[in-house]
Amino acid sequence: MWITVRLFANFRENRFKEARRQYPPGTTIADVATELEIDPGLIGMIFIHGRAAELDRVLGEDDVLALFPLLGGG
Amino acid sequence: MFSKQELERYSRHILLRDVGGPGQHKLNAARVLCVGAGGLGSPVIEYLAAAGVGTLGLVDDDRVSLSNLQRQVVHSTANVGELKVVSAAERVAAINPNVKIEPHPIRLDAENVTGLVDSYDIVVDGTDNFPTRFLVADTAYTCRKPLVTAGVLEFYGSLTTLLPFETDAGGQPNPSWRCLMPREPDTAALTCSEVGILGAVVGVLGTLAACEVLKLITGVGEPLIGRLLMVDIRDMGFDVVAYYRNPTSPVFGQG
Repeated sequence: MWITVRLFANFRENRFKEARRQYPPGTTIADVATELEIDPGLIGMIFIHGRAAELDRVLGEDDVLALFPLLGGG
Repeated sequence: MFSKQELERYSRHILLRDVGGPGQHKLNAARVLCVGAGGLGSPVIEYLAAAGVGTLGLVDDDRVSLSNLQRQVVHSTANVGELKVVSAAERVAAINPNVKIEPHPIRLDAENVTGLVDSYDIVVDGTDNFPTRFLVADTAYTCRKPLVTAGVLEFYGSLTTLLPFETDAGGQPNPSWRCLMPREPDTAALTCSEVGILGAVVGVLGTLAACEVLKLITGVGEPLIGRLLMVDIRDMGFDVVAYYRNPTSPVFGQG
């Protein structure tokens, strides 16, 4: 299945801003993070089509996944 | 009625279409609570004071340190060691003596947060930790107060405006903070003191947060409701990402 992955802030460094990528059925958000070598502990917000999602969410065809790092400084 | 001095001080607002005298009167009457008088808080406090926001509540229990001064421009070298709310109040008095400052040199907790948030019209959050960010966001929602909230790290920042107790033009309820982050992070988030921050990044995000507050008070334009602004200073990119209400969010009592 094809997923659009959007990355933000330092997640883009040495990766990409947005890419359409192919994954096997049953792939979770955590699987995508692992494949992209993103530490799940550094992920702040996760959106699927603009709605918050959890790491164990199983992705579907044509999902648009957005991953944001924790930006907790002030 | 504005005094002669006020007419001159605020003339560029009074001249400005969609703000004008009525908008300036709204600014003069507004009460804004600034949570955090650090990096993000610095431009927020300075621009809201310069704009003539009538009352600024400042919450911060920290003291000014030398390592703050690379980005926390509301404080000066002479203020090192002072409470940040005292230091910031001095700066506000120098910018605009018409502004009333209410300093709160406390750490927000479940006991004190509601009374404080409830006594202001708008809350702007520039704290440096997620537990306080969640506490402020949940309380602002309960107290039905608009919240402008920003975060920064390294070369990056985020900003959004929350009015989850209102509906959008289509009658749909606006999203809350918990629609962005359903729960607090399991792990402690990296901080600026651990990984650093380009000083001017907080100036960009704090200034944008001040713009949102000024827009909310005057009713000008479209606030960042249901939209998350992501700022990438490293590559100089600005992205606006739409997000939506999650009806199963814990804050709505169904999570």
